[in-house]
Amino acid sequence: MTKRNYATVNPCVMCQPMGSALAFKGIENTMVLYHGSQGCSTYMRLHLSHHFREPVEIASSSLNEKEAVYGGTENLKKGLKNVIKRYNPKVIGVATTCLTETIGDDVPAIIKEFKEEEGIGDDPEKDIIIIPVSTPSYGESHVSGYIKALDAVVRKFSEKSGEEEFLKIPNGKLNLIPVESFSPADVREIKEILEFMAGDYIFLPDISDTFDAPLREKLPKIAVGGTPLSEIADMPNSRASIGLGVVSTNLAVKYLEDYHGVPGHNVPIPIGLLNTDLFFTELVRTLGCPIPDKYQNERGRLLDAMVDVHKYLYGVKAAVYGDPDSVFSLTTFMLELGMNPVLVSTGSKNRDFEKRIKQIFEEIRPELEPVVLDGIDFDTLNDAVSECGPEILIGNSKGRYIAKARDIPLVRVGLPIHDRVGAQRILTVGYRGALELLDRITNTILEATDTFTAPVQVEPAAYAGEGAKDERVEGSR
Amino acid sequence: MIEKTGIVDTLEERQPYITRKQEKGEVIPLACDNNSLAGAISQRACVYSGARVVLNPVTDAVHLVHGPIGCAGYTWDIRGAKSSGVETNRSSFSTDMKEIDVVFGGEKKLSNAIEELVGLYRPPVIFVYSTCIVGIIGDDLESVCKTASKKHNIPVIPVKSEGFKGNKSDGYKAACDALKKLIKRPEEGAAEKKSEMRSELKKSEIKDSEIEKTEVKKPKINILGDFNVAGDVWLIKPLFEQMGIEVIVSMTGDSTAKSISRAAEADLNLVQCSGSMTYLAKWMQKEYGIPYQTISFFGIEDISIALRKTAEYFGSEEMKKKAEEILEAETNRIMPEISRVRERVKGKKAAIYMGGPAKALTLIKGFAELGMEVVIIGTQTGKKEDYEQISYSVRDGTVIVDDANPLELADLLVKQKADLMVAGVKERFIAYKLGVAFCDFNHDRVVEFEGFDGFVNFAKEVDASINSPVWKAVRQRILKLEFVEPEKATAEEKISEKPYAKKCKGVALKPEFLHSDVAVESQV
Repeated sequence: MTKRNYATVNPCVMCQPMGSALAFKGIENTMVLYHGSQGCSTYMRLHLSHHFREPVEIASSSLNEKEAVYGGTENLKKGLKNVIKRYNPKVIGVATTCLTETIGDDVPAIIKEFKEEEGIGDDPEKDIIIIPVSTPSYGESHVSGYIKALDAVVRKFSEKSGEEEFLKIPNGKLNLIPVESFSPADVREIKEILEFMAGDYIFLPDISDTFDAPLREKLPKIAVGGTPLSEIADMPNSRASIGLGVVSTNLAVKYLEDYHGVPGHNVPIPIGLLNTDLFFTELVRTLGCPIPDKYQNERGRLLDAMVDVHKYLYGVKAAVYGDPDSVFSLTTFMLELGMNPVLVSTGSKNRDFEKRIKQIFEEIRPELEPVVLDGIDFDTLNDAVSECGPEILIGNSKGRYIAKARDIPLVRVGLPIHDRVGAQRILTVGYRGALELLDRITNTILEATDTFTAPVQVEPAAYAGEGAKDERVEGSR
Repeated sequence: MIEKTGIVDTLEERQPYITRKQEKGEVIPLACDNNSLAGAISQRACVYSGARVVLNPVTDAVHLVHGPIGCAGYTWDIRGAKSSGVETNRSSFSTDMKEIDVVFGGEKKLSNAIEELVGLYRPPVIFVYSTCIVGIIGDDLESVCKTASKKHNIPVIPVKSEGFKGNKSDGYKAACDALKKLIKRPEEGAAEKKSEMRSELKKSEIKDSEIEKTEVKKPKINILGDFNVAGDVWLIKPLFEQMGIEVIVSMTGDSTAKSISRAAEADLNLVQCSGSMTYLAKWMQKEYGIPYQTISFFGIEDISIALRKTAEYFGSEEMKKKAEEILEAETNRIMPEISRVRERVKGKKAAIYMGGPAKALTLIKGFAELGMEVVIIGTQTGKKEDYEQISYSVRDGTVIVDDANPLELADLLVKQKADLMVAGVKERFIAYKLGVAFCDFNHDRVVEFEGFDGFVNFAKEVDASINSPVWKAVRQRILKLEFVEPEKATAEEKISEKPYAKKCKGVALKPEFLHSDVAVESQV
């Protein structure tokens, strides 16, 4: 394996501000503004737009040389003012970038000043809510940016104003907060499950419409949909929170438990049989209602399909890469199917990743010995692939370089998927998600190993006469 | 709050950046070439992006981004610039600066990264891009690169592209400054020969005996500002070769450190992307006495002008004749297809929003060749003189816009009743949501648009997008059901004749389909 200590070749993570946009874009009537130079917003808009195939508007405070020296206060204020004028949002998420973190702009203080100057109060009913989040690009990754932004949102909506204690009025609802961005299809599936379970729930952030919008009569300035603000404000009153993801720490769930006494339970992202079972178990435990027949049937269908495909998948060597918790859950599912995930990796640096992955191998297939890597770039992954020899790759579209070069089929899951359509509709969660994933993985393997050939046909003209036949056969040679 | 007076509703400070075509000679009242307005959502990127797009097609270079991971991540192989050889440029290299590097400085990490990459890739050149953070913490890129150059005996060139130090145009300049360092002074003899070239060629018309000599000394050109997206350059080079001209290098499409180093041997520079490359062309003129001409290889008219101008410059009758032969043969070859498309798209209205003004200008002609008219034209980086030229080239009433934002573009597309937009990925989905056809003329395209076959590709794409039946379908965004009058509803037989008429809970309903030929105004 090539040993590199200093240069990163082909990054497998994106930076923190992008993660914050994925979170903010799942909130009703919200705009995002990056406090930094113009390029950050443009590049991340491009990255997300290409993936979701939707317009993605992210404002920028467009700092230039002068502001970099004297501070970006005026630009940030002007940026906020213009965003309010043009988009009239209810919430503005302000994410910092490496530039503004390093020059030392005190964003919360600037926002406070701005609100005073503009006469914006703290009444969530009528005032614009501005939520700062510190996301320098040199810190961690897009995953941490996502988690931090959600934490900042929940805090903002439930913070005690002044001396007042947060008045708790139990609402009987269930909070659902992921640690990594789900696809719009995944969010829709989780919401549907909750609706069928007759559970009153709050899913934050809900990108199911904002990043997968129907073609409407009018193009709205801000994408329609997202978690309603009243719901976010109601999260401290919920009976419990379910954090989706167990490898990364879910800060929002932790905050709600620590400060508002909302019990938090973290379960793996419900990809695969076991993880979906765990999710339903948690739902039944908190909501106290049985699993609807619909899902028993879906589960039955998944079992049926697992039996159908078990021989195709047994022992198939796979390499998986992506965000830590998605990889964790995908690995679990592969192990359940009898596959051999020889290489399990994530671009994010994560202390618990290896431990959690090894644990799940120990539980399901202790005889297997995977290579587990975190904080990798694609060049390192390429070397690892060469060493481990997987027969299939599972991850985002950036793995296509390895897939093409080594002629290994790639099943596209995660973000970004820039080279195929339908990224926003890829379903992986719940029993239905598992079924779709199982079909895609199996069919990809079948396509790659298919030995079927069309039967050799004698050309009709060959029957015309003895001479003609001879000629034809001669010719075909 | 919102100004209602302008061409479109926008911020007061943005109003001077949007205007309509003026009468000939009038100075165009358009503000441009300024920093983007905070909060307005510009489609522009940063200095780094400008530098990166210009240099990135240098195929055998290691493009090392000194900064946090994002800057390298978002620019990894995002332009379809093709290479005929190695493709080192398609990998993304970064120093992935972390908090500790920001605190203690990133110079050490950078020089170690350079050393590592030299060992692994043995590149003939390394471009080291500085990003926002580097400009703030003050890493001395110049000295790190200088030391590395000496140590590894290859050019390690700093590209001063701190994101906040200006706009995309400043990035173009930073890229040109980096290219300058690669261009070598030709050997004594070569330079002399070059200065004689023009007179030699003219003499050759008179003296037959000289012809052989001139054939040995083929005239040489560089193409500046062609990035070989989808292989564009490969459709252009053969045209010049047929005319007996050697293309030394295309900057930077499909170029290498070696081919760029020979650029000063050229007799003439042809500048296509003027926004990014005029600066370099002017420098080469001053430094090496190489004149330049601004041309375009898009559309039949502009290709013709490019070939004729070049032949005219070298002055040989034979070359001029050859150029005419090529133009006639090629035009005749593609004309049937162009005419077929023209019949299908003529009269349609186009909107152009480009990064640079050169592409916008040449597109106006291209659309005219397809019988289409331009109703909106804008760029991210146009200068005053560019907009004057644009204004001169478009019809009265055309809206001209600088540094537009999504809301302005959406509003303009509707108000100007555009049928097709030509732009990049970020604009694509705005057009689609409004039910407007779209053609990508940016880095995302996978087919050539330059040259004769390229123009056919362009025409076909315009046709495919404008004439797709999906636009008819999307006119009706909501399925509307019409209640059928009770009198009609009682006539059971009459309804059942229509297969789509349904009786629903005692109420007769008739869905309103739009797949008929009825022209319905777009709902947007």
